[in-house]
Amino acid sequence: MSRTITCPVCGRRNGYEFRFGGEDKGPRPEEEGMSPEKWFEYTHLNDCKAGIRKEWWFHRDGCGVWFTIFRDTASNREVVRPPERELEAVP
Amino acid sequence: MIIYQRRSPVVFPSRPLKTDIRDNWTVVLEYADEGDGPYVIDLSHKVKWDVQSADISNIKPFGLTIPEKPGECLFKNSVLAGRLNRTQAMVWDLSETPSETPDQNSFTDVTEAQLLMAIVGREASQIFEKLTALDFNDPGKKSPYVLQGPVSHVPSRVVSLRSSEPPVFLLSCSRGYGHSMVEAVLDAGREWDMTAAGENMFLSFF
Repeated sequence: MSRTITCPVCGRRNGYEFRFGGEDKGPRPEEEGMSPEKWFEYTHLNDCKAGIRKEWWFHRDGCGVWFTIFRDTASNREVVRPPERELEAVP
Repeated sequence: MIIYQRRSPVVFPSRPLKTDIRDNWTVVLEYADEGDGPYVIDLSHKVKWDVQSADISNIKPFGLTIPEKPGECLFKNSVLAGRLNRTQAMVWDLSETPSETPDQNSFTDVTEAQLLMAIVGREASQIFEKLTALDFNDPGKKSPYVLQGPVSHVPSRVVSLRSSEPPVFLLSCSRGYGHSMVEAVLDAGREWDMTAAGENMFLSFF
């Protein structure tokens, strides 16, 4: 098992049971003041940071739940939630 | 009046001895050479519902309260209710006489969409160890409970209905995998001489 992901319902499982859902970019931006450029930025542009980032995952072969985890993209391993001061730097 | 024939996706390489036509399903009650177990039993004709609601804790199918925690199940009066996640549950009616769908829009009848097999016998958990990485020997879990995950790479739900005398497992997945799943289960149980058994055998355990 090369990678494991911790599902909030099923617990720690084989990474192949999950579907990647992209970077967590926070809540959908407000409609007011929205421009095509802002929407493009929100939907298509990613930080692609080498290091710890917050991501969405979907338990496709299991309970069917969407959830977020923290993953170190440099080592491709799930990591525990970083301390608050470091969290501010996580996208 | 049009009568629709309902066909089980599960076909065993054994000769049926007794059959019954029930709700347009041909239900095999007994197979030839059923042996002493372990057994694999087709229960695809049992009525199954998918229940989805934001307020799922307040839904009481057939008087049962849907368990609070995902994975927990309740089995009473031949009806099994299992919690799958925050907003979803499953309800299976394992009785001989099928029930009507409750008059609530949270219920979807998925009987035709999913296959259901029972794997019964002392060796049932060893058979599952060959098919899946799901852990059915966790001492922290008390039957009945449901685990969701891949069985032979197929997204499935497996219920540990009873842990002893003899252990009973229920395996459910999309009906399109029926042929391959039967082959995989029988192959895994071959070293213990697993055989197909009819519905009468399943009912004899309860």
